[in-house]
Amino acid sequence: MMANTAREEMLDKVRAALKRTADSSVAPIPATARIAPRTAGNAEAELASLFSEIEKLGGQTQRLENKADLEAALRELVATESIKKATLWQTAELKAWGVEDALRSIGVGIISPYASNREVAECDLGVTGADFALPETGTLVLRSSIEQPRTVSLLPRVHLALIRPVCLRADLHQVFEEAKHAGYFVFVTGPSRTADIELTVTVGVHGPKTLCVIALP
Amino acid sequence: MAHTPTHIDFRANVQHVPPQMPPSVQKATAKFLGNRAGLVDLYGPDNWEVLREAGHEIRLHAIHHLDHYLTQLEEQVTQAGGHVHWARDATAARSIVLQIAREHNVKRVVKAKSMASEEINLNHALEEAGIQTLETDLGEYIVQLAGEMPSHIIVPAVHLTKEGIADLFHDKLGGDAPAEPTALTAIARARLREEFLAADMGLSGANFMVAETGTIVLVTNEGNGRMCTTLPPVHVAIAGIDKVVPDMPSLSVLLKLLARSATGQKISTYTSFIHGPRQSTEENGPQEFHLILLDNGRTRILKDEVARETMLCIRCGACLNVCPVYNHVGGHAYGWVYSGPIGSILSPQLLGTAVAADLPFASSLCGACGDVCPVKIPLPKILLHLRQRVVEGDQVEAATASPVIQAGVSAGTLALGTPWLYQLGTLLLPLVQKPLQRGAWLPNLPPPINRWTMVRPFPAFGADFRAWWNKRTGKPLTPKWLRNAALIAITIEVGLAIAWLLTRKRGDKK
Repeated sequence: MMANTAREEMLDKVRAALKRTADSSVAPIPATARIAPRTAGNAEAELASLFSEIEKLGGQTQRLENKADLEAALRELVATESIKKATLWQTAELKAWGVEDALRSIGVGIISPYASNREVAECDLGVTGADFALPETGTLVLRSSIEQPRTVSLLPRVHLALIRPVCLRADLHQVFEEAKHAGYFVFVTGPSRTADIELTVTVGVHGPKTLCVIALP
Repeated sequence: MAHTPTHIDFRANVQHVPPQMPPSVQKATAKFLGNRAGLVDLYGPDNWEVLREAGHEIRLHAIHHLDHYLTQLEEQVTQAGGHVHWARDATAARSIVLQIAREHNVKRVVKAKSMASEEINLNHALEEAGIQTLETDLGEYIVQLAGEMPSHIIVPAVHLTKEGIADLFHDKLGGDAPAEPTALTAIARARLREEFLAADMGLSGANFMVAETGTIVLVTNEGNGRMCTTLPPVHVAIAGIDKVVPDMPSLSVLLKLLARSATGQKISTYTSFIHGPRQSTEENGPQEFHLILLDNGRTRILKDEVARETMLCIRCGACLNVCPVYNHVGGHAYGWVYSGPIGSILSPQLLGTAVAADLPFASSLCGACGDVCPVKIPLPKILLHLRQRVVEGDQVEAATASPVIQAGVSAGTLALGTPWLYQLGTLLLPLVQKPLQRGAWLPNLPPPINRWTMVRPFPAFGADFRAWWNKRTGKPLTPKWLRNAALIAITIEVGLAIAWLLTRKRGDKK
């Protein structure tokens, strides 16, 4: 009841200040409040731009011509980052690429993404896909769903995203148009960073310390 | 810690700025401005101006239709399964948070950076209720441990050295703490990771709230925002009512402006788009989501048509970075959570000009803040306007000058614009002022112009210019015959005017 009163009181105050009433019309959003979306270059240039932006932020990138090369790439990552335990999205795409089996064959323990937050946090590696990618800023867009739990890209210290060029979008506009009714989603642009101590850029403050992006055909 | 101030004495605060404050603040501001300038060049200065104009238009449109977008937002958040609360003031907002915490038996809260929560002094209220409340943004965590206030909106602990932070960590957290940013960050990461996993409630602000979809947008670099809004079973977001934007295309503009203006990044590392609590189609996320819409003086700001544009602010901190005053004193001198030029216009309006009377004067009016503002808030104009309000009181709707003074000013305008009336004045005023005149001055005048003479004497009306000229040159500027003719004309005109007035009065009575 109290909350309801506060609601009416606040709305009344807003309307009085703006000289509006509950029935006042809403002017259309002015055309000058909109900007033209960026236009995409060719797919090759777009992917190159995405990778160069991610690298500028300290992320690692790799292009595979053949999905058979994936196991070798995973092996290298597991070795350089000394990965013992991993968790991953349960999407059809990652299953089709055989990511889980490949990791197991390299000797990495697999933790279910549906395990407790603490168990997922103990993983060294989280493997995800990406729903969209923005070349201008080096941004990956990750939706949240049963198959795509949010914690996989958040809690492990290394985040590996496997993407395909079809996820590239020219600008934010397109991403919002496609994702706006999808519930929760997150933009990931490089590894977690801070400059809060003497402005020294330090990666891996709360989120992943390492971001690795591999593009598959 | 941040108590709501009852008086901000900027001048006195400036006397207590520690010597290391200006150089460390300037290091940060120079870096952010440098990064920003590089990105503006890359974006194209002309395109950047188009983008700023769009940002201004979109924010202005949202503020001008605030009631509409707030109700739309409420509807959408509710539809997504969230709870929307309306808080008139700080007390109401605090009790809503405490109520939610009690209902869920909350013992530990993790917090992502939120200016609104600092504005209402929320941490203190939670701690008093026996609830451990931890800031998780690294800079905020450090100033919280130190028991200090943020000195910069983006880098709250910029005034502290790595050696100071190492000592602080050693004292408060125990164990070894080398004076090295990477090592100190690792200590905070390990400590806060445990807190994220154990917390019963996550608190955050909102950079934007999208009315069309009910989406809360949270921008962070560290990932603490994602943790606070994903791991604990309850998420409470608290935001000023000014944070609402119409739709997703608005975000395309504002997100491009925000990070470039704040830290000089193209985009911040993480941007979360939160749509209610965990949906049935999701694996992670809180079971409950609460959004608190905070007024706390914002509807009062809306009333003032000049200062209203304060509400366009997207809290990027660019105006702090360019401000010569801020660069010399740092954030603490502004006495509250908001500092720099935006603090100078926001604090007096939220706290009242009587509390923060100094702040609109804490500016050289160089205009740099207005030039850099990504949403084109006319900061210098609002600073001037608030100086007027400080002097004349906060009655922003009524005329600020008394009717007598206004009548006097109108009469003066008429006299100066009408030659014959002016002539008449130069003849009459020297006679009228005689009883009050002391030498060349009028030391005491009757009300309301005694407001002037209480402070300084008023110069007596001298001889009129023509008379002075005639005396000085011995040659009359106006021939005597013309002067006489003019005098006759004036007399006739005055006579006619009086006669006209009299006949009109009689006519009215009929």
